[in-house]
Amino acid sequence: MAGTRILVVDDELIIRESLSGWLERDGHEVHTAESGEEALSKINETRYDIIFLDIKMDGMSGLEVLTQIRQSEPEIAVVMITAYGSISSAVKAMKDGAYDYLLKPFDPTQLELLIQKILERRAQARENLFLKEQYKEQSRFESMIGQSRKMREVFDLINDVAPTESTLLITGETGTGKGIAAKAIHTRSPRCAGPFVAINCGALPEHLLESELFGYQKGAFTDAKVTKSGRLEMAEGGTLFLDEIGEISVRMQIDLLRVLEDRIFYRVGGTQPIEADFRVIAATNRDIEDAMKEGRFRRDLFYRLNVISFKMPSLRERKEDIPLLVEHFLSRFSQETNKAVDKIGRDAMDELMLYDWPGNVRELENAIERAVVVCKGREITVRDLPIYHPEGARAEEPASLKEMEKAHISKILEMNDWNIVKSAKALDIDRSTLYAKISRYGLKREG
Amino acid sequence: MKDTVKESGCILVAPVDEQDGEAQVEIAREIERVYAIPCKTAPLIQDISFAFDTHRNQFNSTLILKELEAHAPDNVLKVMALTSSDLFIPILTYVYGEAQLGGRCAIVSSHRLREGIRPGMDYRKIFLCRLVKECIHELGHTFALRHCRDRSCIMHYGRDVADVDAKSRQLCRYRGIMLNDELSRMGKGSG
Repeated sequence: MAGTRILVVDDELIIRESLSGWLERDGHEVHTAESGEEALSKINETRYDIIFLDIKMDGMSGLEVLTQIRQSEPEIAVVMITAYGSISSAVKAMKDGAYDYLLKPFDPTQLELLIQKILERRAQARENLFLKEQYKEQSRFESMIGQSRKMREVFDLINDVAPTESTLLITGETGTGKGIAAKAIHTRSPRCAGPFVAINCGALPEHLLESELFGYQKGAFTDAKVTKSGRLEMAEGGTLFLDEIGEISVRMQIDLLRVLEDRIFYRVGGTQPIEADFRVIAATNRDIEDAMKEGRFRRDLFYRLNVISFKMPSLRERKEDIPLLVEHFLSRFSQETNKAVDKIGRDAMDELMLYDWPGNVRELENAIERAVVVCKGREITVRDLPIYHPEGARAEEPASLKEMEKAHISKILEMNDWNIVKSAKALDIDRSTLYAKISRYGLKREG
Repeated sequence: MKDTVKESGCILVAPVDEQDGEAQVEIAREIERVYAIPCKTAPLIQDISFAFDTHRNQFNSTLILKELEAHAPDNVLKVMALTSSDLFIPILTYVYGEAQLGGRCAIVSSHRLREGIRPGMDYRKIFLCRLVKECIHELGHTFALRHCRDRSCIMHYGRDVADVDAKSRQLCRYRGIMLNDELSRMGKGSG
């Protein structure tokens, strides 16, 4: 496989030259070091996939170098090179974590097969990491559902931008499916065979976010007992989804900007540059323009992220999609809970259509899940919905949000002499929504 | 690639201790076909005893390449040396041949290319075919071509003679493009 970076460490020039020459003809990028000290210095600066390490060297021995590599770079495959008389050292090296050893001189076929085995193992390890991440993501992944004009526009945009390598910024309220849109873009992109790695930037404090994103070297801080890869590394060849990008600190903004500009990054405490081979999709529910005006978000990072951007519509902007979404969630949760719930009552559907859904699709999803769980028969009734509060049920208690809404709508209607257009505008809702609310609350013009 | 080269400069097929005239003619003809550069056949160095390793009873091919480089005339673009001696590089037990990647000189040994030819097979044909393929392969390295994953490409690394037998005498499309790039860089481009 081409593109593998190999370090050959041997104090004999002739061995370094002959092995590196052979490996270069095989398409690998080969560096050499004539001592253990030089090797460690190179490993500190460059990321290697395989190291061929002579056991017997003047100065630092191969075994000492191996111990240090195992502590700082456990992912590198180290192959010990040994002369016929030092097999016991080679066996010790294997116990200390060497991948394999080769007796000098070695058969060209043996060398080729060994490299192939190492590269296959590396690919397998990356695949496993990817599958683990994918499994974690699976529970959150839903295919995007909607037939509304707003959603059709989103689908068209996704199809247009997916094949490109451009960085994307997805905006929209919480729960509108920004992560699902990012995943849909990834699965339609040329990077779809690579991993989709997501991180919620708002969920972690700055120092944790830094090590989670960039990874860290052993010893970089007190708890860094072993070297750990970060999400940036895990996203190699795929897509990195930075959710809630508006929440990151200014310091982290600078670090991310450097990654996007230089296309390289370093683990925390690391000195080796690592190539940033991933597409970035960022998302936020914040008003980034406002954050920039207030100096909380760097303008240069915004422009880097905002190469292409689109907004995920809120659920109240596409209420016509609610029946479809309800049908989808109903089918899913009835299967998951093993309950034969396959219908939704007319009242229940009316209630769902009337509600404003500040938590958007996620809130609807949770509402249907709860309804399926508490539902007694095959049909979900209005009483199964967590958003349903019958009028008068809390007459003795302080006014509920619904009562306040009813009173407020009534007041606005009176103020506008029941002019529906003006009232809807004042309330910042559609006319159809206002009509529905008037009907729902039983409001009538007085006199 | 197959167009006539615009400038002078040839590939020298240089037998070291290999006296197989028919093989030399076949090799020169195939090199001209693949690389579209005229070939001449003439010895360059004949004594390679300096490269003999008494412990291994083999010849160090890297040392031979250095000697060939020192003797190669300026008007010779590449040198393709042929030997019947068993070759090695210090880290490996043996090699079929060696070349200077992006350099001028390559060498191929016929020593191990006779292996595995069973009675009843066309011994001469198979042996000649292997020798020709190895020469085109090693010469490819001097044009900065690296090993290719395509098993049918002449630049595919043959682990053993069976692999050599399995590959074609042609460069794959990608290696062909890379060769053209290299020839253009050298001022020997086609067209």
